[in-house]
Amino acid sequence: MAGSRGTRLTGAALRCYPAGWRRRHGDEAAELAMLLIRDGTPAIWIAGSYLAGAAREWLLPRPGKLVSAAACALLVAAGALGVSVGLLAPAAPARAASTSQVPRATHCRPSSRAPVPAVPPAVGTAQVAIWAAGHGQSC
Amino acid sequence: MTVGKRSGRDGQDVLRRAGEASVLILISLADGPKHGYALIQEIKEIAGVELGPGTLYGALDRLERLGLVESLPADDRRHPYRITAPGAAALRVHLDSLERVSAAGRLRLQLGGI
Repeated sequence: MAGSRGTRLTGAALRCYPAGWRRRHGDEAAELAMLLIRDGTPAIWIAGSYLAGAAREWLLPRPGKLVSAAACALLVAAGALGVSVGLLAPAAPARAASTSQVPRATHCRPSSRAPVPAVPPAVGTAQVAIWAAGHGQSC
Repeated sequence: MTVGKRSGRDGQDVLRRAGEASVLILISLADGPKHGYALIQEIKEIAGVELGPGTLYGALDRLERLGLVESLPADDRRHPYRITAPGAAALRVHLDSLERVSAAGRLRLQLGGI
């Protein structure tokens, strides 16, 4: 019972390795774990050793992994850039739209008696925020 | 692969930074091919070090990439590993280096009268 639990534990740890490693060493590593458990080595220690090995396998650079690591880095950079552009993109047209709708000449001029509108023009949420920041309060 | 070949020729100690596990594996393989379980058992006997299986496979992969060991065709599910000629040369260079360091250490202990 304890043996099968230990085998399951080490099996789970072995599944953390990259597929290539498992194809190459998987069966042998599972059998080695079984033999060590049979000898009285604690399964948790074996699983810990395999987990540490799996982490090293994923993290350490390999000659063959350099290209894929570079591709991953580029992908992450492109993704981050895409998110930034995505966040900025809706704001720019909103600002442009709000400046054209707000009667700037009337409420920004100190001598003007025209009241500042209490509510922003009927625009979207992002535009409201920009309207408030750019015109509703600074003038 | 090339590192192992180079080590045999110019006496460079490539195992200096390879880690204890790699050196112990090469020492264990020096008298003939062995598979993982036998390696762990023998290293425990020789050095009193219980090598974790994850550490063992990591070190074997590293040594294989350096051309210092090679895996033989599997019998059943086990792959025996064998030390290569560059591996044996690298081990010799490393053990010579350890002997020099050891001798220097002993001499200094003698001179210091400790």
